[in-house]
Amino acid sequence: MEKPIAPFELRQCASILRSTGEKAKNLRELREIIVRVSDEAIFHHTYQYFLKGHIYQYTNDFAQWAGESLEEEALAEHLSVLDPYEFKTIEDLRGVLLAVIDRYLEDFPEPREAMSGDEFHFNETITLIFPVGVRAKNLAEFLMAIKYVDAGSIYYHFYEARMRLGGGIDDFSAWIDTSLDKKDLAEKVRAIDPFMHSIEEIRKHITEVVEKEARRDMEVV
Amino acid sequence: MISDYAGITPKGDLQLLQKLGEKLRNKAFLHINSTRAGGGVAEILQRMIPLLQEIGISARWEVIEGDDEFFNITKKIHNTLQGNLDHISKEMWGHHYEVNKRNAEKINLEADAVLIHDPQPAPLIEFRKTGKWIWRCHIDASNPLKKVSDYLRRYWEKYDAAIFSVARFARSIPIDEFIIAPSIDPLSEKNRELSDQEISEVSERLQIPRDRPIILQVSRFDRFKDPTGIIKAYKIVKKYNDCILILAGSPATDDPEGEEVLKEVRACAASDPDIFILLLPTFSDRDINALQRMADVILQKSTREGFGLTVSEAMWKGKPVIGGAVGGIPLQIVHGVTGFLVHSVEGAAFRIRQFLNNPDMARRMGEKGKEYVRINFLITRQIRDYLSVWYALENKGKNVLEL
Repeated sequence: MEKPIAPFELRQCASILRSTGEKAKNLRELREIIVRVSDEAIFHHTYQYFLKGHIYQYTNDFAQWAGESLEEEALAEHLSVLDPYEFKTIEDLRGVLLAVIDRYLEDFPEPREAMSGDEFHFNETITLIFPVGVRAKNLAEFLMAIKYVDAGSIYYHFYEARMRLGGGIDDFSAWIDTSLDKKDLAEKVRAIDPFMHSIEEIRKHITEVVEKEARRDMEVV
Repeated sequence: MISDYAGITPKGDLQLLQKLGEKLRNKAFLHINSTRAGGGVAEILQRMIPLLQEIGISARWEVIEGDDEFFNITKKIHNTLQGNLDHISKEMWGHHYEVNKRNAEKINLEADAVLIHDPQPAPLIEFRKTGKWIWRCHIDASNPLKKVSDYLRRYWEKYDAAIFSVARFARSIPIDEFIIAPSIDPLSEKNRELSDQEISEVSERLQIPRDRPIILQVSRFDRFKDPTGIIKAYKIVKKYNDCILILAGSPATDDPEGEEVLKEVRACAASDPDIFILLLPTFSDRDINALQRMADVILQKSTREGFGLTVSEAMWKGKPVIGGAVGGIPLQIVHGVTGFLVHSVEGAAFRIRQFLNNPDMARRMGEKGKEYVRINFLITRQIRDYLSVWYALENKGKNVLEL
């Protein structure tokens, strides 16, 4: 007898922003605060940037501020290539952020100040996780679900899961691998680069590879 | 009805609202502000209270009453928190407190959560009975007159939490400070879809010609909204593009300066027949909706701003928007993506001309703006956030809450 497939319960996360009360008006102050601010604040300004839908020029809040408010575009570029999902812990990411800023300060020891009112404000989040009332029991239902759910749900399972599960694994490929036993498909989902795409592009790519697989399954039958 | 939002607002917002409604079912949620009509706070409360009730929360809205002197004082407090120079005497602070004390005797302050909107009713915290008390600051308090913010600290510090619209408005006070953007209601009379006939009816009644592009700003007649600056920008544009300008606003009962500013605006417009200054009665929501829908370019050229919800209103109608880079406007207008941010009269004039001469770009930005508002600035998201703050205060110390 075939073993029953554990259904995939789709969930979503939403965050509320909490101010840390810390703000930086120049690069040196930014550095000092990055040293002491909470992991949640680093997480918010880097990982959660992906929730914003890639409409900004750079890829995290620090880079965006360096580019837009300090007009230090080279620094913005250096910070922007940091892929937070490459790091195992937030401490590792914090260390690299500091190293990038230190290197820049060595070359440009007197960077400009942000205009009054344009300081960098450090925030952190409280995250609420909730089921979205959608359950997939097979690949076809999973395909429908991916097309149906909000971007926040894709974010939770594809981005946030990487920190939760560790090792660059997302919920979708983990379920496809372990519950559906489709290792090739799981690999294809894992191969989608989270850093280079918006959530809507991620949705499109997952839909494409899953649809192809579902069609193949159907044709075999 | 909350189900009316299905297909308009993001699905997840509705699901989270229902979940939070289950968690906080039958609990009392009291909102208090200082005006029943006029201004964004009253508008959103009118819509929010029934929706909260529908998801099982026992929501109430109370309005504090005050004399003219009280509202003159609170206007000064409001302006000084926004950076204006003014003096608030010991007697004025005393009257501010006394009026709140009298209101506290009349209003039932018992609730599981109390949300106090803006500084007018802030002293009510002194008469707190039960529940979590949250102070909601809707104004741009990023650069307040220190004396005034120092005085108000005595009230703020007694709250469980404060909510600001923008991170830079947050103060260094030893309580939890949350950042929650305000919102618009897509189903309200001000934002719902209108038929062409409904729009024409309004343009005919208000005698607005539709034969040339329309530039519009909707706001109270307040110096911080820079209505005279807009007239100057329009005059620059008019040299190149034939257009008309509409400045439309409703009076607010808590704004004694409105009359004076209106006189200045009329003087600046002089006898230009293509400038329409419309002082619309309170609750002219459908007229405002129609004006926004008939406009070609919408401005919110504020020099100080709490959040500037008229920006989201305009974006929701798919219109290209130009806003002053102050307060919450840069949170709504991502420069060059969902609209343009400007810092001067000349900047406003230049961007108006760009939109008038590039209709494709105007349409593209308008579409992006609408989607941005759908995800970030609709009422369901704001109610979700208020309830999330309340729920987080009930579960203090946890950064991740599973529902």
